[in-house]
Amino acid sequence: MTAPSLGVAVRGVLRRAIEVYRDSPEASRWLQHHVTRFDEPLRLAIAGKVKAGKSTLLNALVGEEIAPTDAGECTRLVTWYSNGHRPGVTLFPTQGAPRQLRIHREGQGALQIDLEGTPVEAVDRLVVSWPSTSLRATTLIDTPGIGSLSLETSERTAMFLTPEESPTAADAVLYLMRHLHGTDVRFLESFHDQGVAKAAPVNTIAVLSRADEIGVGRLDALTSAGRIADRYRRDEKLRGLAQTVIAVAGLLAHTGRTLRQDEYKALTTLNALPKAELEGMLLTADRFVRPDQPVDPPTETRLRLLDRFGLFGVRLSMHLLQEGTSDPAVLAQQLVERSGLDELRKLLAAQFTERRDLLKARSALLAVELVLRREPRPAASQLAMEVERVLAGAHEFAELRLLTDLRTQHVKLPKDVQDEAERLLGGDGGAPAARLGMSGETDPAQVRSAALEALSRWQRRAESPLSGRNVADAARVVVRSCEGMLADLPR
Amino acid sequence: MAVPAAIELVDLAIKATTAYKRPDLGSRLQQTRKRLVDPNVRVLVVGEFKQGKSQLVNALVSAPICPVDDDIATAVPTLVRYAEQAKVTLVRETDSGSGELQQSERIDVPIGELARYVSEAGNPGNTQRLTYAEVGIPRDLLKSGLVLVDTPGVGGLGSAHGAATMAALTGADSVLLVSDASQEYTKPEMDFLHAAMQLCPNVACVITKTDLYPQWRRIVELDRGHLANVSVYADMLPVSSMLRLHALRTQDKELNNESGFPDLIVFLRDKVLAQADELDRRSASQDALSVCQQVTTTMQAQLSARTDPEQTGALIARLEKAKAAAQELKSRASRWQITLNDGVADLQSDIDYDLRDRLRQISRESEAMIDEADPAEVWDELAGWVHQQVAGAASANFVWATQRTRYLSEQVAEHFAMAGEVALPEIQAGATNSMAPKVAGLAQPEAEAFGFGAKGMASMRGGYMGALMFGMLTSLAGMALINPLSIGAGVLMGRKSLKDEKKRLLQRRQSETKVAVRKHIDDVQFQVGKDSRDMLRLMQRTLRDHFTTIAEEMQTSINGAVQSAQAALKESEAERNASIQNLKAELERVAGLAQKARALAPAQRVGVGV
Repeated sequence: MTAPSLGVAVRGVLRRAIEVYRDSPEASRWLQHHVTRFDEPLRLAIAGKVKAGKSTLLNALVGEEIAPTDAGECTRLVTWYSNGHRPGVTLFPTQGAPRQLRIHREGQGALQIDLEGTPVEAVDRLVVSWPSTSLRATTLIDTPGIGSLSLETSERTAMFLTPEESPTAADAVLYLMRHLHGTDVRFLESFHDQGVAKAAPVNTIAVLSRADEIGVGRLDALTSAGRIADRYRRDEKLRGLAQTVIAVAGLLAHTGRTLRQDEYKALTTLNALPKAELEGMLLTADRFVRPDQPVDPPTETRLRLLDRFGLFGVRLSMHLLQEGTSDPAVLAQQLVERSGLDELRKLLAAQFTERRDLLKARSALLAVELVLRREPRPAASQLAMEVERVLAGAHEFAELRLLTDLRTQHVKLPKDVQDEAERLLGGDGGAPAARLGMSGETDPAQVRSAALEALSRWQRRAESPLSGRNVADAARVVVRSCEGMLADLPR
Repeated sequence: MAVPAAIELVDLAIKATTAYKRPDLGSRLQQTRKRLVDPNVRVLVVGEFKQGKSQLVNALVSAPICPVDDDIATAVPTLVRYAEQAKVTLVRETDSGSGELQQSERIDVPIGELARYVSEAGNPGNTQRLTYAEVGIPRDLLKSGLVLVDTPGVGGLGSAHGAATMAALTGADSVLLVSDASQEYTKPEMDFLHAAMQLCPNVACVITKTDLYPQWRRIVELDRGHLANVSVYADMLPVSSMLRLHALRTQDKELNNESGFPDLIVFLRDKVLAQADELDRRSASQDALSVCQQVTTTMQAQLSARTDPEQTGALIARLEKAKAAAQELKSRASRWQITLNDGVADLQSDIDYDLRDRLRQISRESEAMIDEADPAEVWDELAGWVHQQVAGAASANFVWATQRTRYLSEQVAEHFAMAGEVALPEIQAGATNSMAPKVAGLAQPEAEAFGFGAKGMASMRGGYMGALMFGMLTSLAGMALINPLSIGAGVLMGRKSLKDEKKRLLQRRQSETKVAVRKHIDDVQFQVGKDSRDMLRLMQRTLRDHFTTIAEEMQTSINGAVQSAQAALKESEAERNASIQNLKAELERVAGLAQKARALAPAQRVGVGV
């Protein structure tokens, strides 16, 4: 696609901006920082209300337990997790130079970071460097919960994700919520900035988290949660605020990815108990860990199981074992699949990782715009025009703009046509197969003919005198997308 | 239950009033009796979305009444009370506009169809404009007058539901704040609790879904800590509705104990019902005592006149003075009336000022926001923000007004009591001074008469706030957006450039929006101001009538005493002796009744009784 040229164009703009502003140390530093950032992995922030399950989901995405979690409110600082050769933590204070901290890890448990006396209010962020393949393409940012009883804690997230003046430090956001609440909507709206390409709903994915609890631990909880996610996906309000909504049971996902042999053994032992006794134990969390029961596995183990799987997870595992699963690897894989994590990762890949360049370009151009706004000077007018040229010229931005307009109903198309338009614009992924809704179709000839069909259909729509001005404009953008698709397909 | 004893006592007292020919006293007793027979102890179940409120109510009455589902949310409040036969009634109350609720439409529906009317799925945003649903069900728990109210989830104080629930709290006898065991209290929940405690001090915190969360004990501890931080000490009741329903199905006593519901039921019985019961007993006792006292006055005077005829002249003179004092109590210049009238006037202007001040602040902030943005782009956000702020301001103003009103009525009662004591010490001869406690008992039970309860339910339909909110919807179509024709014309004429035209239209949009916001705020000020004025007027009238009636009763008693004292002068020796015997016997009977009344009253607590 024209992606490489977009990257080149944006780098060019950044370089020219640095030249123009070389006499202003603040602006230079800011721009240089963005040049470096442009080459870094995508920054994905995980936000949401307190106890929405952010740290757990982060651990599930990384595949290891690194972010600390707890029953009470836990994360109080914005913490970055990025790929590195060696584990380490750097503290960035609000004032002064960053410094290294000691980290300590008990076995396979979460990291314990010692702030060494620095008060929480004096810390801007922590950056954890951790060797992990999952972090190679994406840097994950864990944020404190919104709606915390401590106003300062919530404010830290607000300041990080929606700073007053500057564009946000994150490229994309995973917003976790347990069900739609006034606070969630307000926060999503404030994250919806007015800047370049108005792309905010396109770089936000809403996650219905702790999906197993939505169904109060029933076996069909996840199906129920999936139905609710579907309903939210079609909700008018949410469509303008997030790209899509997906239900995920974070704890289950994390445990599935890190299932241990001794845990599997404990589960099979439980499964071997007489049915009536097992049912009685699974009734409530308290009953499951009752010490007075002369049962194998011992209370300690049962407590740990409950911690790791949750009551729903244990019930589901029993169900899966009864259905015939006999291999720990298979059990783990089933747990992960049912949790919705696989689908989430596919979504992240399609929506964020593939669009990485686009999202980064957007962040970079926002940064340049900020400098132009803060320190206007005559030499910068050329620069401003160039920024506008990139924005207007790059087809990716046009696609993004139109996608946003379609979702926020600024541009109205008939319903069935709108779904097709969003798909062709890359709403479900940038690959030709995704754009044409032909997932799994590998025959290039078929894909090509489908693309040609779409192209002619939309050309007709663009030229039809019956189409209103808006529809015609939208159709023209879709036509360009089809043309770009055809150009990329092998002849 | 002591309520049957109270009813018995009141019946006896009513018989006495007929016997002693005092129908004026009898009518007040009839009112008391009506309240005793249908106590109506209202327990509001409140909390944020999906915390388990409806399931809690279902588990308490062991019946699947309130609709429960993963995706369902309650949209309309549901009252659950005792009835011999199970039935469901929908109630739609329409405001006639004069501040007093006029029509109340009641529609019976089949039991299984409740979900269609009270859930978000069946009745989104309460488009059917129902005020509440009433479910009658034969259950022992509800027999003693307990009424459980399942409310729509509060989405933070600034939401429409939040404001409406706040208004309903004034008519509640107790509030159960429901939060599940998955996490400790959040800021919106603590804010709500704080506001709720100011309106209804009898609040208990219920932690639900303890079956699902192994860490629930820790959560309860954390929550207790949060409450202690703001010096709130409320009962904490961890429960599991699921376990309770399971226990009821399998008749398993052990499981029922584990579910935590026995403690909850004990709370409802011992704290809520008992307190309401205490109030009932106290007011019945006081009413009966007051009757005894009045009747005794007359008879005592009659007795004195006959046993000591020489002193009759002096007695009559004293009684005439007392008559004058009672007349004084009735007059407009009496201290309590002045307190009442001045107090109401002051309160009125204070409430108005407070509301105006809050709204003016919002107006200023919104104008600042409008100046910085293009209304066409941020319309939804702006409208949402204004609605939320206005609802919050009206709520806060309402809470504050309610507290001040209660305080004022207590003050008036105190002044009346003081004046009464000073003016009529003679009357108290032989009887305990029950004047002060009687009037202090006025406050809580009369809340219904003030219309708090009724109005509270009406406002919960959301129509109160809802109607105001919808009033602000100026559609974008009406706004000055770029009209291609006008642009074309202007550009052709060479007079205006596109940029100028855009700027002009933006400014026009901004001023139109400011006007719309200002108009909305004015509407709210008007409506809310009128409602608070109505409430105050109602309170004023009620208090005035109540105390005037008491003063009149005293007057009648004294008149009766004067007349019979004069009549006694004309009696013959034999008649006199016979009368004395009669009177002594009657006095003993009345003293017996008074004794019963005193026995019924709960021990007086230190400080002011409720």
